[in-house]
Amino acid sequence: MARAERMAPARLAAFALVGVGALLLVSPFYFTFVFASHTRSAIFDTPPPLWFGSAALANYGMLIERLPFWRNFGMSVYVAVMTTALNLLLCSMGGYAFAIYEFRFKKPLFAMVLASMMLPAFLNMIPSFMVMQFLGWIDQPRALYVPGAAGALGIFLMRQYIASGIPRELIDAARMDGCGEFRIFWSVVLPLAGPALGTLGLITFINSWNNFIAPLVVMRSAENYTLPLALRSMQSPNNTEWGTLMVGSAIAMLPLLVAFFFCARRLVAGLTAGAVRG
Amino acid sequence: MFKTSITFAASLTAMATLAVLGLVATPSQAQAQAQKTVITVATFPDLDRAARAALPRWNKLHPDMEVKIVSLQYTDHHTAMTTALATGSGLPDVMAVDFRFMGKFAEAGGLEDLLKPPFNAAPLRERFVRYTVPQATNTKGELVALPADIGPGTLLYRKDIADKAGVSEAELTQGWESYIEAGRKIKAKTGAYLLADAADIRDIVIRSGLKEGEGLYFDRAGRVLVDSPRFVRAFELGRSARLAGIDAKVVAWTNEWSTGFKQNRIATQMMGAWLAGHLKNWLAPDTAGLWRAAGLPGGAYASYGGSFYAIPKKAQNKAAAWQFIQFMTLDKETQLDSLRVLDSFPALAEAHAAPMMEEPIAFLGGQKARLLWRDIAARVPAVPVNKLDSMATDVIRDEFENVVAQGKDIKAALADARAQIERRARR
Amino acid sequence: MTSTRSRPRIRARDIAPYLFIAPFFVLFLVFGVFPLGFSFWLSLHQWEPAAGLAAMRWVGLDNYAFALTDPWFHRSLWNTLWFVVVSGVPQHLVALPLAYFIQSRLKRTRNLVVGAYFIPYITSSVAIALIFATLYSKDYGVINAALQAIGLQGAGQGIDWLGDAAYTKPAVAFVVFWRYLGWNVVLYLSALQVIDTDLYEAATLDGAGLWTQFWHITLPLLRPMIFFAVTLTLIGNLQLFEEPFILVDAEKGVAPSVMTSAIFMYRLAFSDGDFGTASAVSWILFLIIALLTWVNGKMFQREGDSHGAR
Repeated sequence: MARAERMAPARLAAFALVGVGALLLVSPFYFTFVFASHTRSAIFDTPPPLWFGSAALANYGMLIERLPFWRNFGMSVYVAVMTTALNLLLCSMGGYAFAIYEFRFKKPLFAMVLASMMLPAFLNMIPSFMVMQFLGWIDQPRALYVPGAAGALGIFLMRQYIASGIPRELIDAARMDGCGEFRIFWSVVLPLAGPALGTLGLITFINSWNNFIAPLVVMRSAENYTLPLALRSMQSPNNTEWGTLMVGSAIAMLPLLVAFFFCARRLVAGLTAGAVRG
Repeated sequence: MFKTSITFAASLTAMATLAVLGLVATPSQAQAQAQKTVITVATFPDLDRAARAALPRWNKLHPDMEVKIVSLQYTDHHTAMTTALATGSGLPDVMAVDFRFMGKFAEAGGLEDLLKPPFNAAPLRERFVRYTVPQATNTKGELVALPADIGPGTLLYRKDIADKAGVSEAELTQGWESYIEAGRKIKAKTGAYLLADAADIRDIVIRSGLKEGEGLYFDRAGRVLVDSPRFVRAFELGRSARLAGIDAKVVAWTNEWSTGFKQNRIATQMMGAWLAGHLKNWLAPDTAGLWRAAGLPGGAYASYGGSFYAIPKKAQNKAAAWQFIQFMTLDKETQLDSLRVLDSFPALAEAHAAPMMEEPIAFLGGQKARLLWRDIAARVPAVPVNKLDSMATDVIRDEFENVVAQGKDIKAALADARAQIERRARR
Repeated sequence: MTSTRSRPRIRARDIAPYLFIAPFFVLFLVFGVFPLGFSFWLSLHQWEPAAGLAAMRWVGLDNYAFALTDPWFHRSLWNTLWFVVVSGVPQHLVALPLAYFIQSRLKRTRNLVVGAYFIPYITSSVAIALIFATLYSKDYGVINAALQAIGLQGAGQGIDWLGDAAYTKPAVAFVVFWRYLGWNVVLYLSALQVIDTDLYEAATLDGAGLWTQFWHITLPLLRPMIFFAVTLTLIGNLQLFEEPFILVDAEKGVAPSVMTSAIFMYRLAFSDGDFGTASAVSWILFLIIALLTWVNGKMFQREGDSHGAR
């Protein structure tokens, strides 16, 4: 009884802090939608608008007129889904191998994986363009989802999770039962890697969705742009239609929100903590 | 078990890898080779709107040539063009280039020399506003592009604020000292700032008093000029404006800048003539009728920006591209359309004689500002561009910041700037 | 003499790992090796890309020497390291306890709260640039308005968050913190899932409070994930480009104070037309990142982490 009373104010304070923090974090997102419903002049007003305006439809109309918006949207979805699906499969395979097996060159190979994350991407534009040109993949979506189909980040993440979260005993037991290597991976390890897969899927989807450098290098027609590139192409040094741009950005963020809630259930669900206890 | 498992794993990996690599040959997207030639025009906003506005007329005149406009954000476009030029592939037929990148692209050698056959543009040169031609000419004397629009530098000022402070236009424009003095009066009597950023003064003064053959930062021999009196004066004037507290310290195209106009807190702005259109459309529409246009202070003549069209050497449809470029740059009707639609001032001298130039501009209180701007355009000096100009601009800007924000000595700052530029220009 | 097999049987177990990691390396071979080699080759040349491939000129290690002695490079390195510490450390100091709190105390509102914290990560760059410019505005920004309302700031004395060199760095660092806090919360949350709740129950029965449990149970078990998340932050922040680039326009006088090494590299390549030096800088950066990651590994990683939980 006494302890419960003592805890209440601290608990309240903790809740309040987390709540206010959450509000602060959400406001730019909120303002994107608010600005999307205002004219350009209103956005640059003092003070900037805090509530929705009435220009949303007009802005949307201009968006559709200027860009093949939904076509670009579709392209973004396609590329993001392909990238995510491929990454989920290939990265969990790679991560599993590095986590569980001992094999020759394991350390240097893993070092290579890690190292590949440390070089900045935009200098690769010209040689990447040359490779795509050579393969004949210019202006095609596969140039966007194939190169990153087994991302180093994903392998790193899966390795970390499997190494520390999947008990060795399970694998040994399965092997003793006569399971083949791939079967162990597929039926024993993967189901237990739920949270990691959820996390990997989410970040892969988001990174693919927001990437504009790869499409800039590869795409040659406006219909094939992904969303970020298309929205950028509406920006003029002095004359951007901000309201319209905000509408586009707002719509572009929605699939990411959907992806989050889709993965969150898997992530945060808290699975039965392992088949082997204690 | 061993066999099944290993085969399974191997085949899955192989399949995944193969599928992923798409090694199964797929025919690339072959464009249907119709009767029409398709001209690819790579451009950026807002220039793309000028091209789109011109399309209806183009299609009537040239029904056999279709124009495909590919537009990317300003920086993205120039990055994409740099990449294409670097590898010699993926190049458009017509390349739009902004003034800031013109020096670099012209020097690089990937664009057609329009003076040579089949273009033979030599006699066309005098049809354009004089200063634009050297901007598109490289050190080998090749003319690699034709100008599409220009931004004659003008001083837009708030007549109502100036009147309230008892300042006349002559005071504003006579000389730099009188401009700054007028700024003090305006601040004292109305509380408004004279200008948005003292750096604007610096930029204009740098562009005045150039000797024949001198570039902005480099002379013909490639020597760095930043410690010359021109720069010293530019820095001094900029600094005194900052010290007098008459600049709002806001950067152009930000919230504060726009609000500064709306709330009558910025009295003047030096920029290209196209600014009037922006002010009217969205920056400060409620201040219509209160602005006037004048020449830059101190008899300075400068240009802000400008766009060009070029033909890459590896383009596929050069003849058609040339037709399109001529249509955009040499056709009076097209140039005037751009003026109407985009407020972009024509680079074609003929267009300056059109009746449209005499229209009173309501936003500027009925002033026939285009006549003023046409006059300014004719007097902007022809300054040779150097491919390292943008690097030098960065260095100067940094040193100026040191001078005004940290009180660094001007001579020392310029000496450092010179050392920096020389170091980076070592090639 | 017992005869041993003359040739050991190749087990599936021996080949399997190579097959599992093959996709990554095949892709890397096709799409990664050429750009890597090209970049290294390029770092030994001087090249203005618009001039075409033939325009490369051999300069040997000149680019490296130039970069290493360049005052702007040093400044950019300093800025980068500053960002790593100032925006990296709080990210984890706040994310860890926060994830723990969410995991242990929030049930119904859990997804919503995590979602709120995650939203900055999915907000588009354009929106971030525009909205933070508005928020940070000297005369009309919400932040200054709030400070003035509380009395920490005099009226009309607004701080120019994105224009005054003393404040711009923290302002940008805050945006980086804002953006990646939720990302780290999600990472830690996913790792917290595997911790056996029995451990907590036993501890509660023994009388240990929330905080004690966090310190003695959660933290040690989270060590691998902490290592992972910190490594990512390290690698990411050492390559920081986007936030300073979109918040502070390159043309502004205050830009050098937030110029990170990645931005410096970008400027070298696209503004100075010096791809060779830019490549050299990227390799120097790579060495620095690799070094710091190795140090990080030594600090956090323990041998026992690789062999399964508990």
